Amino acid sequence: MSLIPILSGKTVSFASKLSGRSGSTWPGHVALSVDSNIVKKITRKNPNLKIILVAGTNGKTTTSKMLSEILEANGKKVFSNQEGANLLNGIASSLISRSNPFGKIKYDVAVFETDENSLPIILENTKPFAIILLNLFRDQLDRYGEVNIIADKWKKALENLPKDTLLISNGDDPMLSFISAKSGLNSFNFGLPKGKASNSKQTSDVDFLYCPNCSTKLDFESRTYSHLGKFKCPKCNFTNPLIYSFDSLSNPLLGEYNRYNINAAALLLTEDFGIGLEAIELSLRNFSPAFGRQEKIKFKNKNVFVMLSKNPASFNQSIEAVLSKEKSPNVLLVLNDRIPDGRDVSWIWDIDVEELVKKAKSITVSGDRCFDMGLRIKYSDGKFEVKENLEQAINHAILKLKTGQTLYILATYSAMLETRKILTGRKIL
Amino acid sequence: MKQKLIIGWLYPDLMSTYGDRGNIITLQKRCEWRGIETEVKRLDVGFDNKQLAICDLLFMGGAQDTQQNIVSHDFSAKKTALLKELIESGTPGLYICGAYQFLGKYYKEANGNKIPGLGILDLYTENPGGNSPRLIGNTAIKILNTEYLIHNTILVGFENHGGRTYIADKNLAFGKVIKGFGNNGKDKTEGIMYKNSIGTYLHGPILPKNPKLADFLIQKALEKKYGKSKLKHLDDSLENKAREIILKRMG
Repeated sequence: MSLIPILSGKTVSFASKLSGRSGSTWPGHVALSVDSNIVKKITRKNPNLKIILVAGTNGKTTTSKMLSEILEANGKKVFSNQEGANLLNGIASSLISRSNPFGKIKYDVAVFETDENSLPIILENTKPFAIILLNLFRDQLDRYGEVNIIADKWKKALENLPKDTLLISNGDDPMLSFISAKSGLNSFNFGLPKGKASNSKQTSDVDFLYCPNCSTKLDFESRTYSHLGKFKCPKCNFTNPLIYSFDSLSNPLLGEYNRYNINAAALLLTEDFGIGLEAIELSLRNFSPAFGRQEKIKFKNKNVFVMLSKNPASFNQSIEAVLSKEKSPNVLLVLNDRIPDGRDVSWIWDIDVEELVKKAKSITVSGDRCFDMGLRIKYSDGKFEVKENLEQAINHAILKLKTGQTLYILATYSAMLETRKILTGRKIL
Repeated sequence: MKQKLIIGWLYPDLMSTYGDRGNIITLQKRCEWRGIETEVKRLDVGFDNKQLAICDLLFMGGAQDTQQNIVSHDFSAKKTALLKELIESGTPGLYICGAYQFLGKYYKEANGNKIPGLGILDLYTENPGGNSPRLIGNTAIKILNTEYLIHNTILVGFENHGGRTYIADKNLAFGKVIKGFGNNGKDKTEGIMYKNSIGTYLHGPILPKNPKLADFLIQKALEKKYGKSKLKHLDDSLENKAREIILKRMG
């Protein structure tokens, strides 16, 4: 293979470091423009490098971090793409930075979190060892179109892979169960034991309540959250596959939803890397969250808890997690509508804020679309304060805290980055 | 006597992407704050015509293609006849995106496949296919309908549709596009307004940031049920602020 794309990628990487520009996507972008098959070529050159792709609407970063840490703790040499750089150019950058000029990579495993829309092209280029599908929810509809379009793309892309590819998929998600069954791949499914939410609970963060096979309304015996749960089609009998759940493992983070991430990681690691549950448990106990995902930060001597909350399912889960930790929390909700957040803020009306509104000690709203978020709270008969400027909002909300109390900040993606920058004084991405 | 409105929500778990539930919440709250009782009737697959017949105000949201097929299947000739009767008799209703398209004659998919609509309103929708992009983005429109309650009101919303809709009688256009694409990105029309029924591409959802429109629907429902009625004034400063910010950004 030609050295030129790799070298040009590496040169850009060096140049961007010098100029202080983000080196996570540019090198790959440049290398791909020199040779559009560069990712294919590098991966083919490294048949022993096991590539794991982690896809899903929510939980990609956390699951990837868990996988990497547990694998490393068990003697594997692991690298991954930088958070946010989860398109093909980000993966190309990551591969280039780890390879020598001849395309050789001296690592055992690459864990790549993968953008939903880019999964097909990344699958085609990387031919991974394993794929983890965490979940699929409505998210950034202005960018992705409809959630069914994504499901359809995934289904087609998976059907074209070598049949011995490992697929680790969420068996509580009707659509993913369907995709997994149809893929013909070497599939295993994780899930959770029966959840508490009943079938009758009507939430608006759901996408797959109808049978993906025959379009009949599914019967849910129980649900954990959103459309995840124990389902059966009354017409064609389509139901959950056999699922694996590792209930003895600790959950280092808040919220049952994180158990899905743990089970996904544990299923892959026990089945295909021969790592035992004790070893996984040990790593989980030392696990600290990825930035902005239930991240604890000290600010002006007060505790702040930052939770990325970027779509209805994730926002609802953040609310549940906050209320499980504190009966009467102080919260700051930050809503932006920039490209990484999705330009359409309609989704906030699919969140169930009513319980939070009832229980919260104080609610402050901020962000580019703070008045929209304010309306969401107003129409739940809640009390709140609007602070357009984020820094002022944080300072204002902090002042309300008594000693020992925590401020919970629920923020969309760009809002989370901005919040962290204010709290830590540093920019990470 | 306390006034009461029954709000019929057609296919809430199928025709509800893009936060369309916010429209229902807005109608409910704006009634509740004025002491008007509301009942939201969820009209799911297999609903009985009797349930639809007693509704004072109707709402149907947008959907993805698969979901819309299920709805299409469920919407029998009998249901269509009743809905037509309600619309003709002035029952106010709001039909967003997929629901708006569904009221028309047909929807032609990108692959040329024609899906028949209910044929209640004289309009049709075509997805040109090929490389023609979805029409996505913030939108502002000015209401054309001469009804004094809403005439010339500027509405904001967010549109996201692949189909281009053409209405037979442009005088029935709900609004004139100020920013964005509207029905088809060409003729500057947005939506349709026929009697008290409104079909539109505006998500956002439309009602929370456009309280005048929400009140118009409520007022019409009350008038039809109880005769003349005047709505109590509500403080809409937050609603107006949210609308102004997005209008300003659109220039």
